Amino acid sequence: MLKTLFLILSIFVALPAAAQNCPALDGARRLESDRYVLSYRTRPAKLAVSQHFLVELVVCPKGGQPAPDGVRVDGFMPEHNHGMNYRAEVKAVEGGRYLADGLMFHMPGRWDFIFEVRGGGKADRMTHSVILQ
Amino acid sequence: MGLVKLPFTIHHSRLFLIVGVTLALLAPWSGAQSPAGFLLDFSEAERRMILQHGPWPPPAATDPSNRVSGNPEAIVLGERLFFEPRLSAAGTVSCATCHVPEKSWTDGRKLAVGLAEADRNTPTLLNVRAQRWFGWDGSNDNLWSQSIRPLLDAREMGSDERRVARLVRDNAELACRFEKVFGARPHATDDETVMVGVGKALAAFQETLVSGRTPFDEFRDALARGDHEAAIRYPLDAQRGLRIFVGRGNCSLCHFGPSFTHGEFHEAGIPVFKKTGGVDWGRYDGIKRLRASRFNLLGPFNDDPARAPGTSTRHVALLPQNFEQFKVPTLRNIALTAPYMHNGHLATLADVVRHYSNIDPTLLHVAHMYFDPLVPDAVPTDTLLKPLRLTSLQISYVVAFLATLTDTEGSAPRKPLAAAPCR
Repeated sequence: MLKTLFLILSIFVALPAAAQNCPALDGARRLESDRYVLSYRTRPAKLAVSQHFLVELVVCPKGGQPAPDGVRVDGFMPEHNHGMNYRAEVKAVEGGRYLADGLMFHMPGRWDFIFEVRGGGKADRMTHSVILQ
Repeated sequence: MGLVKLPFTIHHSRLFLIVGVTLALLAPWSGAQSPAGFLLDFSEAERRMILQHGPWPPPAATDPSNRVSGNPEAIVLGERLFFEPRLSAAGTVSCATCHVPEKSWTDGRKLAVGLAEADRNTPTLLNVRAQRWFGWDGSNDNLWSQSIRPLLDAREMGSDERRVARLVRDNAELACRFEKVFGARPHATDDETVMVGVGKALAAFQETLVSGRTPFDEFRDALARGDHEAAIRYPLDAQRGLRIFVGRGNCSLCHFGPSFTHGEFHEAGIPVFKKTGGVDWGRYDGIKRLRASRFNLLGPFNDDPARAPGTSTRHVALLPQNFEQFKVPTLRNIALTAPYMHNGHLATLADVVRHYSNIDPTLLHVAHMYFDPLVPDAVPTDTLLKPLRLTSLQISYVVAFLATLTDTEGSAPRKPLAAAPCR
């Protein structure tokens, strides 16, 4: 019990201050690069093959890192070596959030979400895999 | 005839069990015979994929971009217009010239023939309402603009806005029906708006063309409700073909969902040189035409003020891999719509399955080079279409499965919709 508590506390302390103040996004998946913490969730939460969906995301710089200049969202099927037939449009909305519109995963199988966060003249890339059935 | 005396005793029930198990074990290797009465041991993953292809029919929904979608008066007007040859330049060609009801709304030809021979095969209109993109290249994003396209094509109906509008204005019956549908007589001078009205009525009619339930649907629903007795009525050869379809064949990755298409595009290794010369670039040109069209869902004729159905059009990407891609067609009633592929290149379903089974990956070139700035390391090769090297027997199983996607009413003669004369 003490061990678990210690582990949770140490993770919390290890997070840079800026990332700790990240706005919460309920039910979001959390990803990290060297410079950013990104949380995202889809609308609808359960994705369907060949149906458009939205992605809501929050990006926070870790301590001392530049604020993001822009975010891009894409999808890729590594097993088939192709991506989406659509280009997502990402807009900054209130509260440090972004909304990506126009995504569609048109086949069943494994898809990788690809997030690119640009800031300070560099780009960080984060990926997360989902399986569509 | 006497009984053979066995050197040992087998209880009757045990004998039946042994015979049954032996037959079941032999069944997968039993040649082209297709007795019902057995159910293959579909895995959970196979069952999940099979269930994705239903239920059928899908719930009907109106098209928000077309204010007369689902309107009974519009359906009647649309039917009249669909069979109306005076819409064409020569007065000889109607929509039904290529979309013949008794041929599952196709024409049985390799290439469509209107006023002249066209470059592509006539696709069926059955279940057209369920589509996101229309035409082999998806150059239209809605059914009413797709209905206008052949009116204006020189090799199909060769008409123009003026001719279409004049017919509807000057014909008392059509003008009366037009007024009933749209609440006003056809505009005296605005030919374009009248033609769009014609397209919307044609779309309302075509939305009613939905194929019925098939043996596959009965099987799929039996699996869904765990009804073994009903499931075993599905022919064994079709079950074997279905297993290839959702399994090693990878067919269901594109032919996915209740309509057996994910509604998008793929290259298939079919020659793209046109008889008239030049290359049919398929989806690549389709997207360019879509964007240039005044009649797309982002344009002024979309009746949905929010432009909500226009999401696909707003976001569709024009990519190098779109070259030579064509729409993945529905497989419902596919046995009734030969010949196949965008240019009718393959005569039979067996030819189609054999084509994919023996596909030459070197024929899949530009279309499968994936370009994406976010994926700089993507290898320029296709990993989806691979030669399967199916045996003749396995090909016959897939064909047997495809045959069970046929609606028994698919090619039945139809009666015109009943409607009193309009005055």
